[in-house]
Amino acid sequence: MANVLEVKELSKQYSKVLAANKISFTIGKGEIFALIGPNGAGKTTTIRMISTLIKPTAGNVLVDGHSIISEPDKVRECITYLPDEAGAYKTMTGKGYLKFMAGIFADTKNQADEFVNRASEMSSLGERLDEKIASYSRGMIRKLLLSRAVMTRPKLAILDEPTSGLDVINALEIRKMIKKLAHEDGMSFLLSSHNMLEIEYVSDRVGIISGGILHTVGRIDELKERYNAANLEEVFEMVVNENEVP
Amino acid sequence: MKFLNLLKKELRELINKQMIIGLVITFAMLLAIGQITSSVMDDVGSDTGTVNICDHDKTDYTKQLIKAVSDAGFEVKELEGDSSDRAQLLQDLDVENLIIIPEGFTKEVTESGKSGVIEKISSMQSSSALASLNDKSSAAVEIMENTTKQYIMTKNGLTAEETALIDSPLSINEVTVVKDKSAAISSETISSLISTQSMVIPIVVFILVMFTSQMIITAISTEKIDRTLETLLSAPVSRISVLFSKMLAAAIVALINAAIYMLGFKGYMGSFLEGEIDASVIGEALTVNDIMKDLGLKIGVSGYVLVGLQMFMTILVCLAVSLILGALVNDAKSAQTVLMPIMVCAMIPYLVSMIYDINLLSPAVRTLLYAIPFTHTFTAMNNIMFGNMTLYWGGLAYQVVLFIICMFFALKIFTSDKIFTISLNFGQKRKLKKANK
Repeated sequence: MANVLEVKELSKQYSKVLAANKISFTIGKGEIFALIGPNGAGKTTTIRMISTLIKPTAGNVLVDGHSIISEPDKVRECITYLPDEAGAYKTMTGKGYLKFMAGIFADTKNQADEFVNRASEMSSLGERLDEKIASYSRGMIRKLLLSRAVMTRPKLAILDEPTSGLDVINALEIRKMIKKLAHEDGMSFLLSSHNMLEIEYVSDRVGIISGGILHTVGRIDELKERYNAANLEEVFEMVVNENEVP
Repeated sequence: MKFLNLLKKELRELINKQMIIGLVITFAMLLAIGQITSSVMDDVGSDTGTVNICDHDKTDYTKQLIKAVSDAGFEVKELEGDSSDRAQLLQDLDVENLIIIPEGFTKEVTESGKSGVIEKISSMQSSSALASLNDKSSAAVEIMENTTKQYIMTKNGLTAEETALIDSPLSINEVTVVKDKSAAISSETISSLISTQSMVIPIVVFILVMFTSQMIITAISTEKIDRTLETLLSAPVSRISVLFSKMLAAAIVALINAAIYMLGFKGYMGSFLEGEIDASVIGEALTVNDIMKDLGLKIGVSGYVLVGLQMFMTILVCLAVSLILGALVNDAKSAQTVLMPIMVCAMIPYLVSMIYDINLLSPAVRTLLYAIPFTHTFTAMNNIMFGNMTLYWGGLAYQVVLFIICMFFALKIFTSDKIFTISLNFGQKRKLKKANK
């Protein structure tokens, strides 16, 4: 499986805090990779560096062969990023928002229309798409943003807490959608979540990060076996406790 | 195409129903206030009105005094009544002002050689300057005084010509010179005319500065708080175009607002500018515009272009400063806080320029005021009017330099990690550090 993402010894130093320390991992084509860790572990910093939002202090990331340092514009053409607790422009309608974002990614009007149609269908918001986003519930906004994130069929979709704010049924739908897009359409995903059940259900491989260090990476069944744990939650607890700084 | 898409989005966010309704209401209100003020001023300016007089002396002489008031165009209402409680008296007679000629007044004036005493009672209902101007009693008392003066002088054997000469022994022909031009009008009248005319600019500038700053701070901070900025900056579009689309949209909306405010104020001020100056001031009736033209103080098209240029530069400085301030915001509360420095910087020169001529203040105060970029916009109109072009161009150059410096820092913030890491919440940072320990 060819690698869509290669993270090589990625580090980020904020004045006194080393938020990410030589992080390395890869994501193959059509693979769903989840980065999990406690609050302040360095997940968001790592994701922001991969998304070209902040520059690394050391190391590099290649997305479809393009470096985030030397070719950030090319990288942005290959990825989409959905931040945790992200909102949308409240004065726009759902459709207006999709059109605006499609206009940013598409090169032609036809391509933009194609993106909007795909996102409209995936969001399953129906006629509500013609209403102002200000009237949407949190779950509806999340569905709109998720469909926006995958409408361009990016090589790598980076989703921070993809199902936060969604009810069980909607969360299930989204997980199924992610799996389908990865395994049938070959789209790669980098997820971050606190929901271990979700990660266990949806991810192919997992990386556990804490204190800015990526401690372990592997398939879920491998990790469970390695740590002699019944589920991912137990693995997570053991890894985090093992590496806790006193 | 992508830039246009961004610009359209920014314009759509800024030009919303609330903004349009607000603008229409402000415009209509300015016109309406102009009309009301103008009609009140007309009322005040007119010499006619009711004068209430209680004549307790009832002599031929007092009748002559009342007739003089009536002949001057006042509507005189003679009333009967007396009470030592003056408030009660006004209430009983149902009037707001009253002149009482006491018993024995004629005797005092004509026989004893003493000053006659007249009582003038006014009911004060508001501290408004216009409210007190509406009281006609003062003018009526003045007529009575002049009539008495003439009576005494005639009684002492002076002719009508001599009486007139004593009344106004000097005739002053006032001339005001501005640079190499002059007009037969007092400098006080001109300065009051100019202050009325140039009142428009500071108000428009103040509104413009506040409005532009708030727009860009809100635009940046909302994107930061809602985390839509992260989505946008990770999309295939350059950060510079995201930044400039915001600035251009804010500048367009600010200019539309400035133009509409200017039109509104023009309508508001129209009544004063087209108004005629009292013939007694200059000998012949002229409009304010005529006099301004004579003195070379009337701003022509090129002058207005320079004022416009200064305003545009002010908007750009506002936008650049607001970009930096907007980037500091991490929550809705701090979005309000960061507007404070701009508000203070706009408020100080606004208030000072309304009261003093900044160029006449002490060098230290002047330097301090000129260090505030908006001061130059407030003084632009005066500088152009009086030909102080060095000050005008100096101010503009200062604003250009300041704009370049601010844009340099704004671009540095937006093209680096700082846009996501910079924050104003030092207190919160400390708390966070403590919590993490």
